[in-house]
Amino acid sequence: MIKVKGLTKRFGELTAISNVTFEVAKGEVVGFLGPNGAGKTTTMRILTGYLPPTAGSASVGGFDLGVDPRSAKRVTGYLPESPPLYPEMRVHEYLSYVAALHDVPRGERRERVARALASCGLEKVSERVVRTLSKGYRQRVGLAQAIVHDPPVLILDEPTAGLDPIQIAEIRELIRRLAAEEGRTVILSTHILAEVDAICQRVLLIAYGELRLDARIDALRAQGSLEQVFVREVQAATEKVAAAKPAAEVRA
Amino acid sequence: MRHILAIGGRELRSMFVTPDAYVTTGFYLLFAGFIFFASLGIFISQLQQIQALGMTQLLEQWNLQDVVVAQSFSTFALFFAFMVPMLSMRAFAAERANGTIELLLTSPASSGEIVLGKYLAIAVMLLLVNGLTAAFVGLLFLYGNPEVLQTLAGLQTLFLYSLALAAICCFISALTRSQIVAGFIGIAASLLLLIIPVAADSSQSESLREVLRWAGTSTHFEPGMRGEIRSEDLAYFAIVILVFLSLARAAVDSLRWR
Repeated sequence: MIKVKGLTKRFGELTAISNVTFEVAKGEVVGFLGPNGAGKTTTMRILTGYLPPTAGSASVGGFDLGVDPRSAKRVTGYLPESPPLYPEMRVHEYLSYVAALHDVPRGERRERVARALASCGLEKVSERVVRTLSKGYRQRVGLAQAIVHDPPVLILDEPTAGLDPIQIAEIRELIRRLAAEEGRTVILSTHILAEVDAICQRVLLIAYGELRLDARIDALRAQGSLEQVFVREVQAATEKVAAAKPAAEVRA
Repeated sequence: MRHILAIGGRELRSMFVTPDAYVTTGFYLLFAGFIFFASLGIFISQLQQIQALGMTQLLEQWNLQDVVVAQSFSTFALFFAFMVPMLSMRAFAAERANGTIELLLTSPASSGEIVLGKYLAIAVMLLLVNGLTAAFVGLLFLYGNPEVLQTLAGLQTLFLYSLALAAICCFISALTRSQIVAGFIGIAASLLLLIIPVAADSSQSESLREVLRWAGTSTHFEPGMRGEIRSEDLAYFAIVILVFLSLARAAVDSLRWR
């Protein structure tokens, strides 16, 4: 469903990600792991067509983002780091608007919105104005807008950031259900190891813009705790960057 | 087209549920109404003086149309230089500050559709404001006999002028994430366009004078407000709208690269 090849993104001098390559099969739930600033958000923004890559290619649902971004965007549901909500809108109005933006025909919108509300447990607040919702509910509205056009691919950027433990458990459960019920392909980024452990079947670990690890969770468990693997890989990446630095300075 | 209507409809609804647009248009209508009826009052008292003095020759030049209607339209144009930027400043700046621009740019809507949707919402709002302006100018027809065609020409010119300002301010709004900055630059740009024909007169070079005079908005709305619709003025407004909407599209496109 998702193919990424040699993906590189530079912002001026800064290289956010370099030569990232991976594939995600249909129905897989993949955890995108890495310390803050590793390049997770950049990769996701490229996959959603928000940023163009400096080099390399990416395709979602068989549509290359460089060739047919409209079709790729139509099959993708995206929850950015902070949910893109309009504070003055009612929840159902907002979802109906997002559905229209994603080419859901007028006649189907009402039903699609009702399903998204039900999936995310939002029926009771559907008439509420977004501004008056708690953070947990806003996150749910964010998830609802990502699934309202029924996309086969979900890209979620730190879906549980800033929530309390109960809300985190609820959102995780919700993501697990959204993935299972329609056989959706999900990539979710996080720096919380337990989250990956709880939801995902596979881990992609990114550090300093490079993909360090691509493995199934059960295979990793055999090697020890997820935390050990995480720390080991990030440290190895740090050493590599530290070793490369003097060379870069000489060149400069 | 569907995207344009969805984006425009959302923007318009949000203008009606937040106080910004009400405050902006409310103040405009308050000031415009005040100026209009004050100038009408002055006109009537001057008319009485002229009649009392028996200066019948002067009466022929002293008519409702030129003194009250055309003059008021010019004043409304000055108010527009404040009102239109205030209405347009949120178009893109608010989306960027809010993070909702990410929703728009990751949706299948193109940059052109996003710009046209936003512009459509502002245009509908301006149609409403111009309609209300027409309503109180129209009150004159109940009590006097101003020139119908000249008044309509003036109203049409005022509307075109506001659409041109809106295109400029839309573009400015796409350049910043601060509504305040967008608003102030919009007001400054609108006022500048209003006064550059004045500056043109003091210029030494003939060609520069021509260019400055052409670029100014007042050069192109004053004939219309006197009732004279000229194709060169229509072309000017069309060019301004097209150029600045294209620039706005390029600005939205460039957001995808940062």
